[in-house]
Amino acid sequence: MIEDLFEIERLAYGDSPVHRLDARVKIVICFSAIVALVSFPRGEGTFMLALTFASLLALLLAVSRVRVRTFLLRMLAILPFGLSILLFQVLFPATPVVSPIVVATLPFGIALTAEALELAAQVGIRFVLCIGFIILLSSTTTIQDLLMGARRLGFPSEFTLILGMMTRYLFVFGQMFFRVRNALATRCFDPFDRSLPYAYRIRQMGNTIGTMFIRSYEQGERTYTAMLCRGYGKDAFLFVPRKPLTAPEWGTLAACMAVVIGGPAAVLLFS
Amino acid sequence: MHIPDAFIPIWQGAIYWLIALVFIALALRWVRNEMNEEKLPLLAVLAAGVFALQAFNIPVTMGTSGHLVGGALVAIALGSPFAAIIVLSLVLIVQGVLFGDGGITVMGANIINMGVIGGFVGYYGYHGLMRLTKSMYASAAGAAWLACLIPALAASVELFVAGTFPLVPGMISMGLYHALIGVIEALITAVVLALIASSRPDILDKSVGVPT
Repeated sequence: MIEDLFEIERLAYGDSPVHRLDARVKIVICFSAIVALVSFPRGEGTFMLALTFASLLALLLAVSRVRVRTFLLRMLAILPFGLSILLFQVLFPATPVVSPIVVATLPFGIALTAEALELAAQVGIRFVLCIGFIILLSSTTTIQDLLMGARRLGFPSEFTLILGMMTRYLFVFGQMFFRVRNALATRCFDPFDRSLPYAYRIRQMGNTIGTMFIRSYEQGERTYTAMLCRGYGKDAFLFVPRKPLTAPEWGTLAACMAVVIGGPAAVLLFS
Repeated sequence: MHIPDAFIPIWQGAIYWLIALVFIALALRWVRNEMNEEKLPLLAVLAAGVFALQAFNIPVTMGTSGHLVGGALVAIALGSPFAAIIVLSLVLIVQGVLFGDGGITVMGANIINMGVIGGFVGYYGYHGLMRLTKSMYASAAGAAWLACLIPALAASVELFVAGTFPLVPGMISMGLYHALIGVIEALITAVVLALIASSRPDILDKSVGVPT
């Protein structure tokens, strides 16, 4: 995952109307779209709703000029766990049905039922769209902007401060991870190399990971001491200047929220 | 075992969020009262380190591979499950918001599984096993293995309650898979603790029981 961190942040520094939009607007749109998708009752309407939200997502992605390939690759990296749960649910239905409609029978006496497939489709389509909105948010907003936006939206100051510290050092340890991996590779060490005894490989990896753990702890100590020197204390907080939203930003927010709130309402009313 | 969005109904997600927030508040109070001074920044930097070392992929057997979660390691080394709650919550927020691994509405459930359950099982598992076996490394390995298995079982129960996962076959498959992956967690945690005990024993909490 850390491999993608630098790429995501590089993308987030791009330039487009969506990139320039205030982080608060993007956070509110994406999070409320996810909440709307998750809380919409299961049923026929889901597919209409999914179509509406997919159009909104596609529109925002097109304006943001995030490349389709990048978007799909990032999505592919996340999908496996959710899809495997869904597949499992199809093979072994979670909620027993009195008289299931059997679509097909597989070996080992496993019956594919229409109900299980329906549930998988209902959950799967929301799951994919939710990830889409997260990818949109993180590939058009820098981490620093996300933090400032979250703080301006009322995220607790104390937590913003430590989350800010963490994300700053994420890049330091990301670089360290690459250096360590290269150092292992230059010594021709591969944890998946079967010609080496397993215990040896585990010990090497354990020592590598342990070294990183100790180094990050020591970095934490140094940072903490440095912060104390600069007057950090119980009442320290991250200073975030006020920044009112501009009229176009209010307009975008209103238009997108109209889709996010109006879409589900319309689907519920007319179905 | 990051449960994604849409797999848990919104009201259940909200309940998990409330429980997770209670534990995060308790953990923040622990940092203020128990850790000397305000060492939150240290935990924040450590969380970044834990995020990075989760990227190391390590083979198990039969073509499966896993990585460290680190909840048990942090809880044992720093001597409190609350340290694990703070570190894992930070890691999960970053994973959820930047990468989409885990989700927004289900983040509470993920924090409960990996941070709260992982941390408490790791810490109390270690001290329980320590009393039984008297061996620091065996107890650390056992506790870390449990801290990988039990959160996975908790996740499958949560998914069952949400109606998106069958209970018995789900628990068996999730349990078996994580019992296998947990071997990594167990071995690496023991080796890392041994390394810390030999190079920076002052990091370790006194309750860990490093022979000095």
